[in-house]
Amino acid sequence: MTAPTAPARTRTFVQALTEALEVTMAEDENVYLLGEDIGKMGGDFGVTRGLFEKYGAERVRDTPLSEAAIIGTAVGSAMVGMRPVAEIMFADFLGECYDQLVNNAAKLHYMFDGQFKAPIVVRTACGGGFGGGPHHSQSVEGWFLNVPGLVIVGPATPADAKGLLVASIEDDNPVLFLEHKALYRVKGSVPEGKYTVPLRQAAVARPGRDLTIVAYLKMTHEALAAAEVLAKEGIEAEVIDLRTLRPWDTDTVLGSVRRTGRAVVASEAPRMGGLGADVSATIAEECWADLKAPVGRVGALDTPIPFSLVLEKLILPGKDQIVQAARQVLGVRPAA
Amino acid sequence: MVLDLEQLLDLYRDMWLVRAFEFGLEREFKKGTVPGMLHIGVGQEATQAALAAHLEPTDCFFPDHRCHGLNALAQEKHAGSGQRIMAELFGRATGVCGGKGGSLHSADPAVGNFGDNAVEGSFMATVLGVALAWKMRRQARVACCVIGDGTVGRGEFHESLNLAATWQLPVLYACVNNGYAISTAVGASHASANIVDLARGYGLPCVQVDGNEIELAYAAVAQAVGHIRAGRGPYFLEFKTWRWQGIFSGEFRPPEEVKYWKEEHDPLKLARQKILATGRAAEAAVDQIEADTKAQIERWIQFALASPMPGAEKATANVYVGWEVASR
Repeated sequence: MTAPTAPARTRTFVQALTEALEVTMAEDENVYLLGEDIGKMGGDFGVTRGLFEKYGAERVRDTPLSEAAIIGTAVGSAMVGMRPVAEIMFADFLGECYDQLVNNAAKLHYMFDGQFKAPIVVRTACGGGFGGGPHHSQSVEGWFLNVPGLVIVGPATPADAKGLLVASIEDDNPVLFLEHKALYRVKGSVPEGKYTVPLRQAAVARPGRDLTIVAYLKMTHEALAAAEVLAKEGIEAEVIDLRTLRPWDTDTVLGSVRRTGRAVVASEAPRMGGLGADVSATIAEECWADLKAPVGRVGALDTPIPFSLVLEKLILPGKDQIVQAARQVLGVRPAA
Repeated sequence: MVLDLEQLLDLYRDMWLVRAFEFGLEREFKKGTVPGMLHIGVGQEATQAALAAHLEPTDCFFPDHRCHGLNALAQEKHAGSGQRIMAELFGRATGVCGGKGGSLHSADPAVGNFGDNAVEGSFMATVLGVALAWKMRRQARVACCVIGDGTVGRGEFHESLNLAATWQLPVLYACVNNGYAISTAVGASHASANIVDLARGYGLPCVQVDGNEIELAYAAVAQAVGHIRAGRGPYFLEFKTWRWQGIFSGEFRPPEEVKYWKEEHDPLKLARQKILATGRAAEAAVDQIEADTKAQIERWIQFALASPMPGAEKATANVYVGWEVASR
């Protein structure tokens, strides 16, 4: 980890990501960007805004709607020493390049016995809550959890977004970098200049002694809001923001659960086969003697995501579901 | 282009190395000493020898699943011996990937071999990135991918040709059209049985050549590689050829078709006739080439069989760069 040396300012999540790209591109000419409409337009969400003007069409490269070619290009160039950052406009489109990520990027270091590396970063916008419908709203980490060799990162704050993106670009492994759309406009304190936030290291977003809430991406914010509600009832919840989803930080999570004896795992994805399942199973295996109650698990209902905001709200989990799960794990009734 | 006798003899020898490699491998596979699956390239030797003759170790090629011979030739030309390709196919520790890749994933970047990918067409996307990096660095290198006719059905074929042409990347598409994707004839499952017809719309040079005539194949690769090294963008070559192997081991094609390709249009027979027709090579010397390559292959097989299996520590090695995963 390289700690920030410059003072922090207030920046949006998007601006923090842009700064991460900017500082790495300035330092290393092997870093280049590719994706749909990332050039003059600056990307669908504005993350690459201003970089085309600064670094030109060679290093900020517009592509056709060819996701397999985008990731394949990234991988091939990484095999000969480049550090590509590819943008896949919506995470839902990752199906178009699933093979490139799963069979190629994640495996070539292993299957060629270390002769090649694939240091690519694939940035993509995930998550729902805005009426994006079935193909612009999904939480896709579950599609990739079962893939050894792949790293999955999901920041919750602007400062982490910048530090984790720099760390992901500098890391020698292929990184799927998830950006929740609901967080893009969130503001926070972001240090100036270059710094990294280490991969595979969770953050304690709020300390507490009564139960551990494990969350990531937007659910970290929902968990913090839930912790506020619980605090009013005299319950002190510890909120852990995973930050790296694969491989996730077992030390921090299990250490916390051993202290609190209770855990709730919160994810925006459907519960079946999701990260919440893996985290709760690991807690059950490793912390059995410390657990005072079964692990609670919060996730989306087992459906695709509907367009109607009314229906979407019913499907996706939030603060209320976390509060409810926490109370259940603690065996307490809601405050009157 | 007319090759001189010495060049012809060299290529004939390389073609025999490919054939002997494949027949030796097939024999061992049937004995059970080679695990997994096996797709051999017998019948396609001229395309492999022609490619191997022109690719430098600083270039790259992504071989397809019938390219053991090309892999071995590259290894032999640039690393002294093809025995580590053989050992890889036997899953041994001395293989180019320590036995972790096998027939479908043999790579050795030191000789320009960037590895096969068992999902046909996948590396048509990957080759773009290698070519792009070299173009950005102003390096006059050739990024080649060897694909089969069946690969044309994949979306990556079109994504790749479109981007290579749009970005003018130094990619050589070497399409080995052997007539069938497993059991399905090219023309039965594609809009044209001639792959160049499908490639032309992308605006890159598309050339079809008899892939069993070594002189024609050699000249076509020379032309393509020259074009690419001169910075003139991608090039699509279609070799018309035929594979001897049927569906795995069973024959399914009409007898007259089999007879034509194996007896009348066999690349090795054609090359041999050409050599003898010069009147300057003794038949015994030509026969000796065949015997020598077969003996060479037997030595490589012995090397593979005598090599140790990978150590248990290899099972969990190199999953991540810099991070360990739990072992059993």
